[in-house]
Amino acid sequence: MACMRSVSSSERFATSGKVACVLLVPLALAATARAQAPPSLTILPSKVELRGPLARQRIVVEEQLGKHLVGEVTDNVSFGSTDPSVVRVEDGVLVPVSDGSARVVALHDGRAAAIDVTVRDQDRPFAWSFRNHVQSVLAKASCNSGSCHGAIAGQNGFRLSLRGYDTLGDFFHITRDAGGRRIVPSDPGRSLLLLKPTGVVPHKGGVRFETTSLEYRVLAEWIGRGAPAPRDDEPRIERIELIPPHVVLRPGASQQLLVRAWFDDGRSEDVTRWAKYTATNASVAHVDEGGRVSARGHGEGAITAWYQSLLVVTRIASPFDHDVAPEVYAQSPRRSFIDEIVLRKLESLRIEPSPRATDAVFVRRAFVDTIGVLPSADEVRAFLADPSKDKRDRLIDDLLDRPEFVDYWAYKWSDLLLVNGKRLPPAAMWSYYSWIRDNVEAGTPWDEFARRIVTARGSTLENGAANFFVLHRDPPAMAETTSITFLGTSITCARCHNHPLEKWTNDQYYAMANLFARVRTKSATGAGNVVVFDATEGDLLQPLTGKPRAPSPLDGEPLPLDSNADRRAHLAGWLTHPDNPYFARAIVNRIWANFLGVGLVESVDDLRMSNPASNEELLSALARHLVDERFDLESLMRTILRSETYQRSSQVLASNRADDRLYSRYYPRRIMAEVLLDALSRASGVPTEFPGYPRGWRATQLPDSNIASYFLKSFGRPNREVNCACERTDEPSMAQVLHMVNGDTINEKIAAEDGRITALLAAGIDDVRIIEEAFLGALARFPTDDERRRIAAELSRVPREERREAIEDLFWSLLTSREFLFHR
Amino acid sequence: MLELSGDGKAHTCDGLSRRDFLHVGALGAVGLNLTHLAAAQAAGATDGDEERACIMIFNLGAPSQLDLFDMKPDAPREIRGPFRPIRTASDAFEVSEVLPLHAKHADKFSLVRSCHHDAAAVHDTGHQMMQTGRLFRGGINSPHAGCVLGYLRGRRSDLPPHVVLPEPMGPTGGDLPHGQDAGFLGKTNDPFALMADPSKNGFQVPDLLPPPGIGEARLQRRRRLRDIVDKSVDRFEASESAKLMDSNFESAFRMITSTRARVAFELSREPMKTRERYGMNRFGQCCLLARRLIEAGVRFVTVNTFLTVFNEITWDIHGSKPFTSIEGMRDIVCPMYDKAYTALLEDLSARGMLDKTLVCNLAEFGRTPKVNPAGGRDHWPQCWSVYFAGGGIKGGRVVGSSDEIGAFPAERPVEPSNVVATIYRSLGLKLDQTLPGPQSRPYPLVDYGVHEIRELF
Repeated sequence: MACMRSVSSSERFATSGKVACVLLVPLALAATARAQAPPSLTILPSKVELRGPLARQRIVVEEQLGKHLVGEVTDNVSFGSTDPSVVRVEDGVLVPVSDGSARVVALHDGRAAAIDVTVRDQDRPFAWSFRNHVQSVLAKASCNSGSCHGAIAGQNGFRLSLRGYDTLGDFFHITRDAGGRRIVPSDPGRSLLLLKPTGVVPHKGGVRFETTSLEYRVLAEWIGRGAPAPRDDEPRIERIELIPPHVVLRPGASQQLLVRAWFDDGRSEDVTRWAKYTATNASVAHVDEGGRVSARGHGEGAITAWYQSLLVVTRIASPFDHDVAPEVYAQSPRRSFIDEIVLRKLESLRIEPSPRATDAVFVRRAFVDTIGVLPSADEVRAFLADPSKDKRDRLIDDLLDRPEFVDYWAYKWSDLLLVNGKRLPPAAMWSYYSWIRDNVEAGTPWDEFARRIVTARGSTLENGAANFFVLHRDPPAMAETTSITFLGTSITCARCHNHPLEKWTNDQYYAMANLFARVRTKSATGAGNVVVFDATEGDLLQPLTGKPRAPSPLDGEPLPLDSNADRRAHLAGWLTHPDNPYFARAIVNRIWANFLGVGLVESVDDLRMSNPASNEELLSALARHLVDERFDLESLMRTILRSETYQRSSQVLASNRADDRLYSRYYPRRIMAEVLLDALSRASGVPTEFPGYPRGWRATQLPDSNIASYFLKSFGRPNREVNCACERTDEPSMAQVLHMVNGDTINEKIAAEDGRITALLAAGIDDVRIIEEAFLGALARFPTDDERRRIAAELSRVPREERREAIEDLFWSLLTSREFLFHR
Repeated sequence: MLELSGDGKAHTCDGLSRRDFLHVGALGAVGLNLTHLAAAQAAGATDGDEERACIMIFNLGAPSQLDLFDMKPDAPREIRGPFRPIRTASDAFEVSEVLPLHAKHADKFSLVRSCHHDAAAVHDTGHQMMQTGRLFRGGINSPHAGCVLGYLRGRRSDLPPHVVLPEPMGPTGGDLPHGQDAGFLGKTNDPFALMADPSKNGFQVPDLLPPPGIGEARLQRRRRLRDIVDKSVDRFEASESAKLMDSNFESAFRMITSTRARVAFELSREPMKTRERYGMNRFGQCCLLARRLIEAGVRFVTVNTFLTVFNEITWDIHGSKPFTSIEGMRDIVCPMYDKAYTALLEDLSARGMLDKTLVCNLAEFGRTPKVNPAGGRDHWPQCWSVYFAGGGIKGGRVVGSSDEIGAFPAERPVEPSNVVATIYRSLGLKLDQTLPGPQSRPYPLVDYGVHEIRELF
């Protein structure tokens, strides 16, 4: 027990900060001291109960303006307790003395704040537990990280589960392996579990903590008590809380975060010291190992805290210094909740919204985003000339009704569902594609669409949806693909261990995968014909336990293992339930990204708690809206298209230049490969021919990604091999430019004998009219006076016999211009 | 604003070329700040040795240290694997019998046998770290070393400063970025990717030549007209992607209009004997093309030995499908690799280019010390070997060592950040400078305290 005595008994949860003088000041006095000081003072957490002699709670003192916390002042605060025989404050940490209640007061700059503190169970002995404390120490010290003993093979013969997801297994490895040398209860200090991480004996992982640390004390005391096993009846963690949940900081300011763990016996523990922190946008807010956040730039950042496989996120706002008058927001038009919420966010960060886009910009944008087709010169002219006030609304309704709408969205969902002639025989590929197309055409609500896929059975030629189970052959692949497709989230990590960035556990993974364990396929007559059916028995074993888990949708209700219920129908019920928080968000985010260019969560298949939305309130509201609209995607699209947010100009203002996530303006982006190719065809009047398809067939009408096209490949068409948004890229490259300049796609279209150029020349109109037609067809706008004049001058210099070439060159310049290549 | 001079003049590293390089499109305030920062730093940022270059051979898939560069003939059978070590031109080390030409040229390169990283054992993380020096965290994607060089020194000819052969890495299972672009330096500094297989008959850079009938005069007219159209839209200025489209036009026109740039890509100008010495396969011809590009003024060439680990014979010897078996590596990968790499060293050396051209052979991790039940080896980031030649590196040496089974570094552990610092050092870049990071905050080229592998120089 020698070692144990050497542990400093004054070790505290908090190690930094000066000893604050303890003052007793009546609140009334503080209140009169400086009435004019605008920010009030607040202590967090606002209510504390300390149970047991070792309970501690760090507190932070915040300045508050209205509803917003605007920064921490803890370092310059004097603390006091109304009853030091109940609770004391040491280095900003509440320390219990005896049972009772007291108020703790903080004084800063003449202002005061107070909280109630209750102290209980001081006579009850407290002991560190393996599950709730030893594991936390090992996780925080990174002993069980993927690069150390948490690796699949362990490290140097010592293996732990990744971040401690397998408590019983870890207990076994620590107490029983290596001939028991890892722990020596009779003399804890001689335990390898303490000698190694303190560097007393050589340790490849280096020194993880000191012998004087709380971490050392937890392990030593647990070993000293005989290294008791985790018990079934001990308190389990239920949730964790990150304090404050939202704070406004100026660059240079810092904020100590607090993490509280709540247990099922109603007790809370301050686990700030053992939580692990990550910053999602380190250029705005950085966080250190102890949970201290420092604001570095302007904008919004989020900090994630992880503790015992639970995650919680706090948002850090750092408003810009721009001087934007409040009227700007008050007077900005609002069409629906979308605009309300977006403007609220912009106001909080002092970013100005760009004005409304012009009609010419809007008509092209709406066509391209909604149906993947350029408006014709006549359509543009008619829209621009229409004087009616509701013409944008009417255009939106028309677009949602057009046949090209079906082509475009069938194409998008074929990307998502990996319709690919390389992996499916032609008949099956067509059946899969036609199924998708028919459902888009019929306006099948998204919940029904998903239900039909996950429960698909029968011949793949008769029920195209069944091909989903031909492409994804084993239960893990089916579960993972279902999750990424319909929940926008990857559960793949949890196949081997608890997901380190999500709440999904290995248990949940195998429960989910077991829902697909009875899916079977058999070949049937006819090329590509496979019958998908369900066996009446069979389970998937979880490798960790060697046993099957009761089939259950991620965090839904399990079916009994011996139940004969339809497992996939059970999954579909959970998946598409209006209360499922993930399903609606995933599709809303995909649709939103299609129209606004940037997903509320980026990327659209990376929805997870540690990757928060740029506007969480908006994502939730849109998801609620979709549920209210009974998962009718067209209604959702109409709401988005009508919003002022969608209809904003892409024009940059001084105060919104840095914004690329909050929708203060429309973000220009390159048009996707297939739509761009169709746009070139339309503007030039010369279709691209695809072998085996009729002339005039558009790229967005192709069922299959497996059709050779250098243009589509170099402009980023996905291969539809893996379900990942990363497969498609809209990034410009030099290969694309070389192709536009020298390649055959544009050059052949403008040189063709049967295209628009030939028709315009045959119409016998003058250069100025030709220029106008070319602009309307390509850019959906009239040329400016300057453009008209300068281009006409250029054309007038050309000898008569070279007129055609010069017009071709004009078309080339339009078709390769940024304005053509981009949504804007 | 779109400046398309394309005059074919080689530019040197001074304010002019850098302005020129970024004198494209309507650059927003952010872009201009970056430019000025770069220009301001240029004088003190490098040691002025303009001709330093680098060829980074990235062995995607990850070669087995135990079967190739760090053999353990005395270890038990399940550790040492099926191959034997052979003597080399260096007294300091042996290599595997499956790399006989490496053995002959061992006086030219030096091995580092103690490289390791501690991120997840998926290919993508190693790609990030070995090419940029850092693991991507907090949404900050650090730039590839070649893009850093291109950013700091600009182009040296009409060719882009950094070229990737034959294509960027494709998916390797992790769905993470591979660290093969300019990251926070902005896409204008992304490398030019060839997107073609130079071993194919009739190989040429796709679309490098204008179609017949489009002569100089029409090309100029097209550019004038496009300028009129593009200039009237100034609203794109804040869009990174639109700026990039402009700078790509600039680069493309320079390449198209420069004879020297075009010729550099013409492998048919090499004697057949030379081409065959490299091997008439994709990797071999990429190595040859890398040499030609460096000669023509490219500063950094990244050669990806493979593009994916799926359904291709690569270094990724898990032993089971869709990956590669150890025999596949012995019979297909090693002969191809051995031949091309040593032909490159011979050529660079014969042409007096090796002193100024660093050739580094990197990989994302090593393989498990123990052979798995399928007869292959799995991912192992805890210890592996990389090697360096030229560019001021002394050949024939070994730095660091692994333990008795090649599982962990035993001496002189080396991290990816040290490898990238070694590249910077060889290129004459000062390690204590900063780059304009996210939100224009200064971002250290390498983290404080990170040094090159000094023993190599």
